[in-house]
Amino acid sequence: MKVGIPRALLFYYYYPLWKTFFEELGCEVVTSGNTTKELIDKGIKASVPEICVPIKILNGHVLELLDSGVDYVFIPRMMSIRKGEFFCPKFMGLPDMVRHSLPGAQGKVLYPKISSLSDDISDDALYLELGEALGVSHKQIKEALKEGREVWKKFRNKSKEGHTIAEAMDYVMTGKEPEKQEDCTITIGLMGYVYDVYDEFVSMGIVDKLKDMGVRVLTFEMMDEEMLDRELDFMKKRLFWTFSNKLLAAGYKFLKDKNIDGVIHVTAFGCGPDSLIGKLMEIDSIEYGKPFMTIRVDEHTGENHLLTRIEAFVDMIQRKKVKSLKEAE
Amino acid sequence: MKVAFPYMGTTVIYKKLLELLGHEVIEPPEPTQRTIDLGVKYSPEFACFPLKVVLGSYIEAVEMGAETIVTSGGHGPCRAGFYGETHKKILKNLGYDVDIIVFDAYKRDKMGTIKRVLKVKNGKSWITVWKAINVVYAMAKALDRIEKRIEKMRAYEVHKGECTKAWKTIKEWFDHDVKTIKDVEMTEMKSHKLLDEIKLVEVPEEEKIRIGIVGEIYVVMEQSINLRIEETLGNLGAEVERSQYLSEWIDYNIMPGAARKEHELYILKKGEKYIEEIIGGHAKQTVGHIVDYAERGFDGVIHLMPFACLPELVSQSIIPTIGKEHNIPVLTLSIDEQTGTANTLTRLEAFIDLIRNNKRTKTA
Ligand code: SF4
Ligand code: SF4
Repeated sequence: MKVGIPRALLFYYYYPLWKTFFEELGCEVVTSGNTTKELIDKGIKASVPEICVPIKILNGHVLELLDSGVDYVFIPRMMSIRKGEFFCPKFMGLPDMVRHSLPGAQGKVLYPKISSLSDDISDDALYLELGEALGVSHKQIKEALKEGREVWKKFRNKSKEGHTIAEAMDYVMTGKEPEKQEDCTITIGLMGYVYDVYDEFVSMGIVDKLKDMGVRVLTFEMMDEEMLDRELDFMKKRLFWTFSNKLLAAGYKFLKDKNIDGVIHVTAFGCGPDSLIGKLMEIDSIEYGKPFMTIRVDEHTGENHLLTRIEAFVDMIQRKKVKSLKEAE
Repeated sequence: MKVAFPYMGTTVIYKKLLELLGHEVIEPPEPTQRTIDLGVKYSPEFACFPLKVVLGSYIEAVEMGAETIVTSGGHGPCRAGFYGETHKKILKNLGYDVDIIVFDAYKRDKMGTIKRVLKVKNGKSWITVWKAINVVYAMAKALDRIEKRIEKMRAYEVHKGECTKAWKTIKEWFDHDVKTIKDVEMTEMKSHKLLDEIKLVEVPEEEKIRIGIVGEIYVVMEQSINLRIEETLGNLGAEVERSQYLSEWIDYNIMPGAARKEHELYILKKGEKYIEEIIGGHAKQTVGHIVDYAERGFDGVIHLMPFACLPELVSQSIIPTIGKEHNIPVLTLSIDEQTGTANTLTRLEAFIDLIRNNKRTKTA
């Protein structure tokens, strides 16, 4: 049986878990290719105009998988991974949207309801409903998830050592150890959902570009979850959406941390939660006197333009740093 | 203590409740362009349109002397839950000395809710409070019955504008004349008599057009920002029914007792096939209501959503399928400060024309 996992949204956070899980159950796992212009165009055509870019991209990936003749596409209903918090409504309604708006999707979507108390979503109770479609037993599901959990933990731990998702993914899939980055004079905190930052098409490879400039990059998923969680203790009311809270927490940590020289927020066009986070950061970064820049990507942003802006930002930080070093002398 | 409330729909109801509790009530004016401009100017861009308008309305209330604003918090997992806090901050930054009492879902914060109730209770005895609630509840029910009647009649009035004028008069009556349940009954009777006098054109049953209005609660209920959709459709010759009425909202969100929740649960059930879970806002209700209208033989549905509303974008994505499967045309209008009247009006006219033509070919 062929199960397709779209290379979009939380693919970048949970793929090692889901891939292992399905393979342990004897399924063939197929992923869609990297996001391309054609793929986005397909997604745009299949989406309502006002919806955010990441959902349009997801639609493109799902269409590609359906075209490739998979038996099922895996689009879990992400409800919650923290008590009292939820996912952005578009995640919660995602399987509904896909089933009822993409041609050929009806009857082909596997969508277990994921509702858990932590980022670890490998509890077998959440996946039991898949037993029937996949023709596997409770016990098999449980065991497959155990394997999946282990791979996923390895993946997360690699991230937390300061490696990017791409590197951590590579590490658990092929065993390749990430290269050490040396001689960094500047560290930049990068705020952004994993599906924006690590989709090369959306972020235009911003992480690698920064690294090439000799910048060390820090993102929320490299940080300890509990530490992040405490970062927001000062807020009277946390946001409703967990991943937005993670970004915001990382953002505040970046603002306070003396070792971080600047903050970049990568956001895709049409994201409601991000507009809220972005505003908070914009105001508070001034208070902390930390350089802050927003990169908003839409379906048409040009690559050159982006590179110029990043270079200017890094330059500015460098000069600022040199200046303050001189002043300190 | 001078108390105000956010402006939404039939506001005499909130006003009455606060008055019966002995507060001096400041009624904010119906939102105008100025309200919207104020709201847009002082809200962060991320705020959804309804909350911008409400902020504008708060500012106007404060200008009129309001010292306290009573409101309900957001329901369901969405941005709205964040607004109470945001509004407080903004008003404070603007230098307005005003207290905002936000009633959140009782379950989330029991002690807090009780404290807030005591504040609003204003030292009145619980019996007074209970009586006030009952009067207001009866009034909400009565006003909704009357409004529903008007929404049907308007399509056929001989002299355009009569129904709207009568509705205004009726709301004034309720505002001035009602103190007890008995008053509610009397005033409702009087209102129906007033409506009886409006001359209507006879239209054969098979030519009648019935349109349901669904979507996010604020843009569905607040006529001043949704192009007065009910009047507009009425003038185009269509009967209208909204998916939301205040008394039903009270039934579902405030009044205890399972029976009162039945209607809402019934609607949610209807939406189940298309959106299985509550995903925030009113998305699931929206799809449920569309199915319900289709099954009840309505001719079309208008779906209203604030621009870029997260949950309503999910329903919007699914609506073409629902429309096809249930054979009912649905028009989505996304509402914000730029909703141009002329362009939208043309779309509405075209929509009604289409429905009328379909009907003719069907009957012919
Ligand atoms: S969080 Fe933002 S980008 Fe992600 S699905 Fe929701 S609106 Fe889209
Ligand atoms: S339901 Fe829509 S309008 Fe209401 S808070 Fe959520 S996004 Fe905003």
